[in-house]
Amino acid sequence: MALVLKGLAILTICSLGLAACAKTDEPGATQQQAGQPPGPVRIGISLPLTGDFAEPGKGIQEGYQVWADRVNAKGGLLGRKVELIFRDDASDPNRVSSDYESLITQDKVNLVFGPFSSRLVIPAAKVAESYGMLFVEPAGAAKEVFEQGFTRLFYAAPAIASDHYNYLADHIARLPAGQRPKTAAYASLDDPFAQGTAYGLRDRLAAAGVRTVVDEVYPPETTDFAPIAAKIAAAKPDIVVGGTQFEDSVGLVRALQELKVQPKLAAFSTGPTLAEFPAAVKGAAEHIVSPVGWSARSGFPGNDEMVRRYREMFRGEANEDAANGYTVGQIVEAAVNAVKCAEPTKECQDELARHIRQGTFDTVVGPLSFDDKGRPEQAHMIQQYVDGKVEIVLPEGSKAQTAKLVYPKKEW
Amino acid sequence: MSLLLQGLALGVLTGGLYALLASGLSLYFGVMRVVMVAHPAFLFLAAYLAYTMHTAFAADPFLTLPVTVPVFFALGVAVQRLLLARLAPDNLAMMSVLLTFGIALTIEGLLGTVYTGSYKSISMDYATRSLTVGGVHLPYDKIIAFLVAAITLAALFAVLIRSRFGQALRATIQHREAARLVGIHTERVAGYGFGVGLATAAVGGTVLALITPFLPASHWAWIGKLMAIIVVGGLGSVAGAALAAVVLGVVEGLVLVTIDATWATMMFYVFLFLTLLVRPQGFFGGRLAHRF
Repeated sequence: MALVLKGLAILTICSLGLAACAKTDEPGATQQQAGQPPGPVRIGISLPLTGDFAEPGKGIQEGYQVWADRVNAKGGLLGRKVELIFRDDASDPNRVSSDYESLITQDKVNLVFGPFSSRLVIPAAKVAESYGMLFVEPAGAAKEVFEQGFTRLFYAAPAIASDHYNYLADHIARLPAGQRPKTAAYASLDDPFAQGTAYGLRDRLAAAGVRTVVDEVYPPETTDFAPIAAKIAAAKPDIVVGGTQFEDSVGLVRALQELKVQPKLAAFSTGPTLAEFPAAVKGAAEHIVSPVGWSARSGFPGNDEMVRRYREMFRGEANEDAANGYTVGQIVEAAVNAVKCAEPTKECQDELARHIRQGTFDTVVGPLSFDDKGRPEQAHMIQQYVDGKVEIVLPEGSKAQTAKLVYPKKEW
Repeated sequence: MSLLLQGLALGVLTGGLYALLASGLSLYFGVMRVVMVAHPAFLFLAAYLAYTMHTAFAADPFLTLPVTVPVFFALGVAVQRLLLARLAPDNLAMMSVLLTFGIALTIEGLLGTVYTGSYKSISMDYATRSLTVGGVHLPYDKIIAFLVAAITLAALFAVLIRSRFGQALRATIQHREAARLVGIHTERVAGYGFGVGLATAAVGGTVLALITPFLPASHWAWIGKLMAIIVVGGLGSVAGAALAAVVLGVVEGLVLVTIDATWATMMFYVFLFLTLLVRPQGFFGGRLAHRF
């Protein structure tokens, strides 16, 4: 075992060395001489393009690319072409720090955009903060992200993790007493984002009088969900809530079916919003609800254009990750156009951050504004599979709503 | 009480699956003294192949086995003869970790290129139903996994104990020099032994594909668990690994229903540490670890 560890240590060092060598020295790409026309606006981004977060990482990358494509088609940012510089951090928090370090100091980028997932956003934002760079990010929703004292970080989505289920919690609390569920079981991945979503709902439902009968946390290595489902089965809850990503959402749904748990409402984060979900759980997707930050048919300004441009560029349908990446671009674009600078200097970056803090921005996920910690102040919509289709069911009466919430759900 | 029974039943079924997944690892260590980090990567390679067969021909994933088992056997022989056999013998254990780590990364990269990084899954109709016996639910997919594991392991033991090749393989595992003295081509036998190990990965991966969705990076979650099982079982002992797998599966299941999932996952490492402290050669295994 010691040998194994030694081997792994050597590997890690080797890969670090390789990463350092792979960096190219482009001599002063952005240093402008007076009188010369300004070069492109270079934006540095590290994303998990391989490893655990490869799939959402790619989605965000595509969102950034669609945004850059639109900006360049309209003549660029302040008349300068936008150039995106991507690094792959392999979902590794150490790599993400060194990536931003080198993007800022070696490549001397004008701006940086954030990576995917709270776990990578925190180390990345620390680097950006230490160089005084504005840091708008598409996917760091956990509450810890906003407790680090960052002054230039903004999360470009409607709500932080614990507010994702707010509309659902409000809806349940308003149900007549006879229909209102009495007990709820929670199972959540040990991950700041996934847990945040489930606990946000748990705390609100507990306040509304729904008793928590199971509250289980499982580590990311968990591959077998049957025993967790067995615990839930023994408690016979009215509601089952999964603070999930993807494979655990599928694992839980399958295990709950196997153990014959039939809740009146089943809510899972993230998993059901991905296109692979219905096939992975077969017919069981019907009536499962999830918070979702974006909808292709929401009709928010610019959304249709993004969906169309995405289809042209990638021959597929845009997803929430791509929309979040695009949103980051939109916010920074609005700030740059308002402040009229895009330089990596402290003055310019401070000015950009100040502008974002006080404004409200029209984006593809709806109008966004931020509190003093960079938290967005809106809430997620709630989607549900109805007759095999994804419908937006909450909030009631919004123009994005496409169907009414079905409750209680049919058996799976 | 019924919850405990349920945990126990699920633990036994899962333990059987673990035994199948870990058996190859134990074989490699036995015949070659190599630590095969790429074994889980091969499991998921097999899972992806089963997925391809399932989506392309709407075939039951198990029908891929007549193809994947021989292919994986040949692949195993090739990996052993062309790569591992060339490593310098004096630091074989360490170099084999590096080499197989590289193989694992290569497989992950290839899977990512061919299948993209998104989740794939095979869901058969029987995958979400269960058999209820006395209030205890036994999921069909877990029963199938357990039966496939039992059949595969029984076949593996029959080969190891009954056949001439099995005798030669066990002789090579027990004492390579002595085996060579009595006329066994230990190099060739080691190659075949490796092939058999990888053939179990073909079966294990197919079963895994039925139970869980997967993406190219899924194999990392399994390395630690499977390594812990073969150390607890006794490095190089297939029977020991099988027993340890069932024991750890049961412990995991019981801890999960009584305490929580974090402790259940930790049990693997608790047992690993206890084994290394109390009985470094493993609880059920032979004397290999001593000489190692």
